[in-house]
Amino acid sequence: MKKGLLIFFLFAISITVTAQQNLGKDHSKSNITCKTCHVCDVPTKDDPCLVPCPREKMKTVYESPDKTVDVVSLEELSKKYLPVIFSHRVHAQMSVMSGGCGTCHHYNTSGPIQSCKNCHQTYRNRDDISKPDLEAAYHRQCITCHREWSHGTNCNSCHSPKMDKKGFQKEEAKKKVMGKVHPALIEPDKIVFETKYEKGKMVTFFHDDHTKKFKIECTSCHKNETCLKCHDVNKASIEKSKIVKAQKSLDEHHKKCFSCHKEDKCGSCHLNKSAEPFEHGKKTGWALNKFHVNLSCAKCHGSKMPYTKLDNKCSSCHKAWNNETFKHSITGLGLDETHSQLNCEDCHAENNYTVKPVCSNCHENYSFPKQKPGKLVGRK
Amino acid sequence: MSGKSRRDFLKTSAVIGAGVAGLSTSTVKAAPKNILSEDRMGVLVDSTVCVGCRNCEWACKEAHDLPAGDLQSYEERSVFKDKRRPGTKALTVVNEYSSGKNSNLPVDVKVQCMHCDHPACVSACIVGAFSKEENGSVIWDTDKCIGCRYCMAACPFQVPAFEYDKAINPLIMKCDFCFNRTKEGKLPACVNICPVEALTYGPRTELVKIARERIKRNPEKFVDHIFGEHEVGGTAWMYLSGKDFVELDFPQLGTNPAPGVSESIQHGIFAYFVPPVSLYALLGGIMWITKHRKELDEEEKS
Ligand code: SF4
Ligand code: SF4
Ligand code: SF4
Repeated sequence: MKKGLLIFFLFAISITVTAQQNLGKDHSKSNITCKTCHVCDVPTKDDPCLVPCPREKMKTVYESPDKTVDVVSLEELSKKYLPVIFSHRVHAQMSVMSGGCGTCHHYNTSGPIQSCKNCHQTYRNRDDISKPDLEAAYHRQCITCHREWSHGTNCNSCHSPKMDKKGFQKEEAKKKVMGKVHPALIEPDKIVFETKYEKGKMVTFFHDDHTKKFKIECTSCHKNETCLKCHDVNKASIEKSKIVKAQKSLDEHHKKCFSCHKEDKCGSCHLNKSAEPFEHGKKTGWALNKFHVNLSCAKCHGSKMPYTKLDNKCSSCHKAWNNETFKHSITGLGLDETHSQLNCEDCHAENNYTVKPVCSNCHENYSFPKQKPGKLVGRK
Repeated sequence: MSGKSRRDFLKTSAVIGAGVAGLSTSTVKAAPKNILSEDRMGVLVDSTVCVGCRNCEWACKEAHDLPAGDLQSYEERSVFKDKRRPGTKALTVVNEYSSGKNSNLPVDVKVQCMHCDHPACVSACIVGAFSKEENGSVIWDTDKCIGCRYCMAACPFQVPAFEYDKAINPLIMKCDFCFNRTKEGKLPACVNICPVEALTYGPRTELVKIARERIKRNPEKFVDHIFGEHEVGGTAWMYLSGKDFVELDFPQLGTNPAPGVSESIQHGIFAYFVPPVSLYALLGGIMWITKHRKELDEEEKS
């Protein structure tokens, strides 16, 4: 009984310490006991006494791929093989949409990133056989993906063939990979899903709009993609527009869309043919100019769905614009010195920029565009 | 049988056969070494980890002086079109099955002798050539083996293979759990080479614990069954799988040791009130003579 109380007491202390040090949100969210990660009873910041491998499923490590290690030379087993030059950053970038750092850095505590050999022994003929040895640990991480898209288990895709041993220059090989980043992803413009819904079989998904206009993060849909989504030696390059059969469950398909399209009826997406892309001009009668067209919808319409009609007075949005802050030359007409001193509404009556400006407030018999308050500079 | 007529042979056999039939079992069917040690070793094959690289096939041949060829040639995946069985030229083979989920990640299964805890081959062998060793291996003595193929018929996994293509002194072949390597403290050749350690070598009791733990930690990945834990009374080689074992061509077997042909031979004989010992003795006698005759022939020839 006494022992139980003591353990509880120590447990309470360790929780308090953790809370006090505010070690990040992962800590408080983790549904685990302190002992899962800490060996001692009272871990401190200076001595967190972390166990190397808690072997519990936890997602803890996160580093932005851009900040992470660029190239790693795996050479713990170099007695057997030439070092494997591993493009860590490129792989980290790919992992963003396929499970994150934790895919490889599994069972890591929220402390520092552990290297594989902290847990995986370098000898196969060993006592602790509960986890694979280092060679197997490396291979399991690599081959499972590599064989998925290369359809083979060729050693040479990672290992320099042994006969190269003399000519193998580690630093040279590293340099080749250094600084490499993953090439920009090719996104499809649109994907047409062929569904089973009788009243409207086709759902057109404008991928481009969602990423570029709505500025939705790739990872909000693509979290656990397989390598094969992009990489496959047998697959032609990604098509810009394609028709695919909807294969996932009803829930899986709808869940992602519903997070925004809450109010939509079935018919707003399910049509009998592939949909035309959304055109602001056609749909609302107000074509977007070259500046507006690049904005995300939310920039004007706010994040509340469904979007409501806005008035098209410039000042409704551009509240801060006045004769000092607005560069008039952007319209194609640069104002001369005198005119640039005037207030906007001196020429643009009632701040209405859709109608012709008036000159008659100052000049008799002047009218735009016959007379101009400056010089034409050409539209930018 | 060169130089002697068939009738001569039969005559001699009959005489000797009748003679041996009267002897006690121990003379002909020597009591086999059949140890079931607490610390016997085993291998846990995790088919969810195996990538089908077939390095184990190569290493096994190398370790047993069988023609192995170039390791790189094992990258060829067209062999998976057919389901293969271990044979005299390959003591272990890897077969590939569809995973049913992802066609790019098939399931690969290595096949070899299971090294049963109660090996049917050991009980079936009429000359006591087979033995279950202290370290769990089921091995056989080629000098004793007379090529009667009783072990083949008895084995619930159809493992022992017979050198049919060998005219002179054809013998039984199967995985020997790399007895000569483990004796020296080395790992079995296949375990040693496997790049992903789909094969874990260790004390059988520990392997069972590890297997249970793996299933517990990843219940959606594995079917809740360790093949070999209880099948035919337990085997040294055990398997984990993400798919029903039947779909991977594993035989459906009970937990009683050693079913199969050896038993039915015995039962058949008892039905006619012939004690099996005399039949074994007769058959054994015949085989023994044949073997010696052949050896003599060879000696004469050389
Ligand atoms: S699998 Fe067959 S050959 Fe191997 S030990 Fe069992 S009975 Fe004998
Ligand atoms: S244990 Fe040895 S004999 Fe058996 S399959 Fe492996 S390498 Fe071959
Ligand atoms: S060496 Fe290992 S991974 Fe390769 S086929 Fe054999 S068991 Fe599977």
